[in-house]
Amino acid sequence: MTNSHSSAEAGRELRRIVRINEEIKIVVATAFKINLMAMNAIFLAKRAGQSALGFGVLSNELRRFASDLQQQMAGLREATYGSVATVTAMLKQSRISRLLERARTEAQGEGKDLIQSLANRRDESTLAQSDEQMALLNRRLSHMIADTAQLVELGSVLARSAKIEAAYGGAFSVSLMQVSSDFETTIGDIQRSFENLTKNQSEDFAA
Amino acid sequence: MKTAHVIYEDGEHKWLAMVRDDTRPGFLVDTNEYLVVSDGDAILLDPGGSEVFPAVFSAVSTGFDPRRIKKIFASHQDPDVISSLSMWLEFNPGIKCYLSWLWQSFVPHFAGQEDTFVPIPDGGMDIMVGARRLQAIPAHYLHSSGNFHLYDPKAKILFSGDVGAALLPAGEDGLYVEDFDRHIRHAEAFHRRWMGSDKAKRDWCARVSALNIDMLCPQHGAIYRGADVQRFIDWFSRLEVGVLKA
Repeated sequence: MTNSHSSAEAGRELRRIVRINEEIKIVVATAFKINLMAMNAIFLAKRAGQSALGFGVLSNELRRFASDLQQQMAGLREATYGSVATVTAMLKQSRISRLLERARTEAQGEGKDLIQSLANRRDESTLAQSDEQMALLNRRLSHMIADTAQLVELGSVLARSAKIEAAYGGAFSVSLMQVSSDFETTIGDIQRSFENLTKNQSEDFAA
Repeated sequence: MKTAHVIYEDGEHKWLAMVRDDTRPGFLVDTNEYLVVSDGDAILLDPGGSEVFPAVFSAVSTGFDPRRIKKIFASHQDPDVISSLSMWLEFNPGIKCYLSWLWQSFVPHFAGQEDTFVPIPDGGMDIMVGARRLQAIPAHYLHSSGNFHLYDPKAKILFSGDVGAALLPAGEDGLYVEDFDRHIRHAEAFHRRWMGSDKAKRDWCARVSALNIDMLCPQHGAIYRGADVQRFIDWFSRLEVGVLKA
């Protein structure tokens, strides 16, 4: 009897999902913060008037970016929820396999043959399905992380552009510079979270 | 490894007791499982926890074809009683599990679909095994709030779940009670703590005293036979239960 899903593997998978979820929570909180910061930046640009038109456009874009990011993160969270369900099923299967293996060892005669044939059927169907499902979920998660990382890169470009525009803000230049620096720092935090997410996903997926 | 003992046999009608697993880790409570066979049909009583499935399955297989087990009776919802349901259903997804209606939506957390469970109403019901009519006898609050025992009028055996249970030390763990006074010391603390209702206890004692019982088979410990059955019922009726004593 083979058991490709050891409890240790499933446990490791679960811990990986928890790490991904923790990063997702950080990014979601930060995206909310960017949304508020962008709203304040839009008001500030309005007060600055003609000299901060470009900054205002970029602030609007950053607000849209925050909203898109929140949506993407909701999708990622849903994907990790699906992974938790699959890992839970794997853990259950792994426990059943372990107990069947013990039953096969202890049983004699016909009982042993019955357990062996049940185990063979399980190996061919249930476990192969779990493998496939887990691989599919992992691929989906990797794609979503890669897509979202690109979105974050766009946010970083917007923040840098806002910094340049702030320099043309006339009397409001210092305030606009301060706001754009905050954007840059905050989006930098998100980029670091995504580096962690990508690392967690690729490391364990490879394992 | 558990061993299967035939405790009653009359032609095609048999009771098997699967007891004493010497390979069981010490942190797991020891349990007895019983199989009632009649005319090729069989019901497994309190099949045990998941961890003892290998031992129970192996012991059952030595005396009976496990594919013919189509019914399971669960006296109540505890994990040492019924958490192996997942394994039995893995083996035979068509198995029906008879248990109190009260636990019908709780036990599926271990395993099973809606049609796996046959809810037993509070007043009890008959369960057919082959040509034999077994009776689910109410034992609510002893200790579980939805609790049944199973009586076989032909074999005169009462499966009594946790009632009559004893936590036996090594060396005093025979299949049958041989010295009642010595044995009952290992049952006293268990019954005081686990049996929660004095009224339920008195009701149960009156109910089972009216039955003709040759053997009282608990889920833990040794089996009471002959005069020890009534001796146990009398002892239990006098025992103060539902108390925590230091």
